[in-house]
Amino acid sequence: MTHKFIVLSAAALLVAAGPATAQDSVPPPTPVQAGAPTTPSSEATTQPPEESGSEQAGSAEQGPEKPAQKKPKKKADDWGFRWSDRPSLRLGSGTRIDFRVRFQGDLDHTTASLDGDDGDGSNVDVARRRIGVDGEIVNIIDYQVESELGDDRNPWRDVYANYKQYGFAQVQAGHFKLPFSLDENTSATNLDFVYRSRVAALLAPGRDWGVMAHGRLLRRGWLRYELGVFREDGDNARTFNTVRVHGGQTVAGRALVQPFRETKAFASDLAFGASFTTSEIPEGVSDLRGRTELDASFYRPAVLVNGQRHRLGFEARFRPGPFSIKSEYIRLSDERRLQSVDNTDLDPFVSSGWYVSGTWALTGESKAEGLDNPRRPLFRGGFGAVELAVRAERIRFGAGAVDPLASDAPRAEVVLGNSDRAYTFGVNWYANRWIKIQANLVRNTIGFPEQGPSPAQPVYWSRLIRFQFAM
Amino acid sequence: MTSRFVRLPIYAAAVAAVLTFALALPVPAAAQDAGELLDPSTMQEIRLTINTRDLRLIRERYSEDTYYTADLQWRNIRIRNAGVRSRGSASRNPDKLGLRVDFDRYVTGQRFLGLKSIVLKNLWQDGSFMHEALAMALFTRMGQPAPRESFCRLYINNEFQGLYGIVESVDKTFLNRTLGENDGYLYSYQIQEPFHGEYLGDDLAPYKSRFEPQSHERETDRMLYQPIHDWLREANSGDDATWRERVEEYVDLPQFVTQVAIESFLAENDGLLGYYGMNNFFLYRPAGSKRQRFLPWDKDNSFLLPGYSILERADQNVLFSRAFAYSDLRNLFFQVLESAADSSEESASKDAPGWLESEIDRIAALVAPSVEEDQRKSFSTEAFYESVVTMREFARLRPTLVRQQISEIRGRR
Repeated sequence: MTHKFIVLSAAALLVAAGPATAQDSVPPPTPVQAGAPTTPSSEATTQPPEESGSEQAGSAEQGPEKPAQKKPKKKADDWGFRWSDRPSLRLGSGTRIDFRVRFQGDLDHTTASLDGDDGDGSNVDVARRRIGVDGEIVNIIDYQVESELGDDRNPWRDVYANYKQYGFAQVQAGHFKLPFSLDENTSATNLDFVYRSRVAALLAPGRDWGVMAHGRLLRRGWLRYELGVFREDGDNARTFNTVRVHGGQTVAGRALVQPFRETKAFASDLAFGASFTTSEIPEGVSDLRGRTELDASFYRPAVLVNGQRHRLGFEARFRPGPFSIKSEYIRLSDERRLQSVDNTDLDPFVSSGWYVSGTWALTGESKAEGLDNPRRPLFRGGFGAVELAVRAERIRFGAGAVDPLASDAPRAEVVLGNSDRAYTFGVNWYANRWIKIQANLVRNTIGFPEQGPSPAQPVYWSRLIRFQFAM
Repeated sequence: MTSRFVRLPIYAAAVAAVLTFALALPVPAAAQDAGELLDPSTMQEIRLTINTRDLRLIRERYSEDTYYTADLQWRNIRIRNAGVRSRGSASRNPDKLGLRVDFDRYVTGQRFLGLKSIVLKNLWQDGSFMHEALAMALFTRMGQPAPRESFCRLYINNEFQGLYGIVESVDKTFLNRTLGENDGYLYSYQIQEPFHGEYLGDDLAPYKSRFEPQSHERETDRMLYQPIHDWLREANSGDDATWRERVEEYVDLPQFVTQVAIESFLAENDGLLGYYGMNNFFLYRPAGSKRQRFLPWDKDNSFLLPGYSILERADQNVLFSRAFAYSDLRNLFFQVLESAADSSEESASKDAPGWLESEIDRIAALVAPSVEEDQRKSFSTEAFYESVVTMREFARLRPTLVRQQISEIRGRR
């Protein structure tokens, strides 16, 4: 497996080195950001479709807000094949198809004896193998179709169209991430760490089929909103275990305030947000699971739920110069109507967590504009961009293990839960536009180690390395 | 001064309130012990609270061993978040549920009067409702470890479910009480096709499927089942000259013969020499030892007939038939039978009925009102009273008939 990983990585490096020549041959050097619109609409230029929450390379949450691409001067440029960071087919004014490939491979090692490792605590894994297309149609519709190779059960990732004629009221329909959680809606290629925060990965809903209105309101568009209805409450927690239940039709909304947007203030990038989801959850065992970043289970609730599932999230982000700091708090509660032994309501089953993370681009790139386009890329006379990252986080399910009344009975008044506190230290190397390598060192502390992946070892360290090629 | 007098009633009221609250609190479980719950002279009352959905599922899926959450109330003690499941073999049914209650299923270390679990036996196959309690009482009188048992009126969600037996679980707590240690390997025998102690081959899988570990569950198959495999291999080997020496390394033969003898006196039809092979026993092997012993379980099918042969199916069981060839073990078998006969006839005075008959009368008086009220029982109330008469007859006839059989067998030899 290790050899396979190295071969794949080397092949990807060669591919990445190749397009540099091709790119040089394509005039003009327009910095088309991933998914950035080519529409002349001023609203659309400042609000790329990835803000809708779909997982794309260059998501505006984490990625930059780039200047609009210049309007093509010649009509002839509207037709034909182009290479601008990636293959692109132009089919007339405002209509294009961009072809995308994404590969992520991981190497990990942990000091805990987890299930599934190969005996010495090490693993090699292909995290993502995605291909897809995106683009726009006559400047008023964005679209994306992306599939995960090798996932036979659920191959589709983002499959949606976004009607963006009116920037204050765009409509997106299809399969995409529900508008909840900053970290969850950050593209996997733009993450500051190898893995998302536990609270986003486990408590945020993820993708589902639905329709959503979104846009920017008020002066300078400092208020951004997203409000949608979805078939179910996302695929993050969902399992193939039919005994476990998840939320049904879900209403999700998110509001993001960026009070100094499009000003020259130091805090122009400062943003605060709040989000919610609400859905009915049928009677049954909750589908929530506690899993570490290496997918080792530390909590598998047996608790019976029934009623409403509510999520509430708060987020904040600030990216001054080469620095960034962001934080989130998420709370998920599942009602337990009529679930006590004597058929009365029990207190909701609550899971919650938070994280605070920060980054520093040592090579000086602006975090808000994105490090995926380094000032001095590898193979073009430079070394790329280097960034340090640190994150503190905690997620907790149910009551703490110390609560003497806590029980793991399905109808317990106080649900015996578990928690994971983690500190992640990382280095990110953005070799060039396509290649990124991340190294993380994670210290996990499992609150109730008996339920954790390594009962004799409540505290353990993991080392993770991710190679990423995205085009 | 005035303010003091004003405050005095307030203080008095506060003290009264505190005292009232304190008195209303449940008495800690430690103040009572399992002996009170398992006191056979008292009709207990147990109340289970189970979510109506769970109760419906238990009844619908009574053949499954799925656990559900329940609160158990006995006197002023309430145990929360116990695990309850359907239990039993032939006695399993959806109307009068046989139940096992595990107190530490969902709460690590939770105990009820020091017990990890109890069995609420539905007494489904016994028209007299007393076979089990009497049989285990005789085992205890004979100095053999046996579960304590009492009777209870069981309520689920405040609805009377009928007369039940409370049976002490054979577990680590039981082992500590009866054998003084519990570090060894305890197995519950799981009946499958008839098994008479035959060697089941080199593969450990057939042993694993029959002997379900109740302790050391996470140990390797080799640690758990190799001694059982070795015992049965030796018990079935052909060399008579060294058979006993080799087998006694793995099984306590005198104890085995003693248990068979008591079951034989009880006319037990579903025990070690049962009609469907060996059944209704636990096997225990102390830590650091290869030697195993038997523990009795589930004596519903005892008291079959007063004239029941003391050697019924004795020739079918590999272990017993070969042990019986040894004169000391044969004599032990007869001695235990005679002791059981004597014990069952033992009375406080010359004119009083023997112990067994007295117990039958006592239990009949204790349970009769509950039996009459029990709408879920599998036998009619008339059948109960007829069974009591039959039991009295058994108590009067069985000792004599057993002694006669012993004399006849000894005479033949």
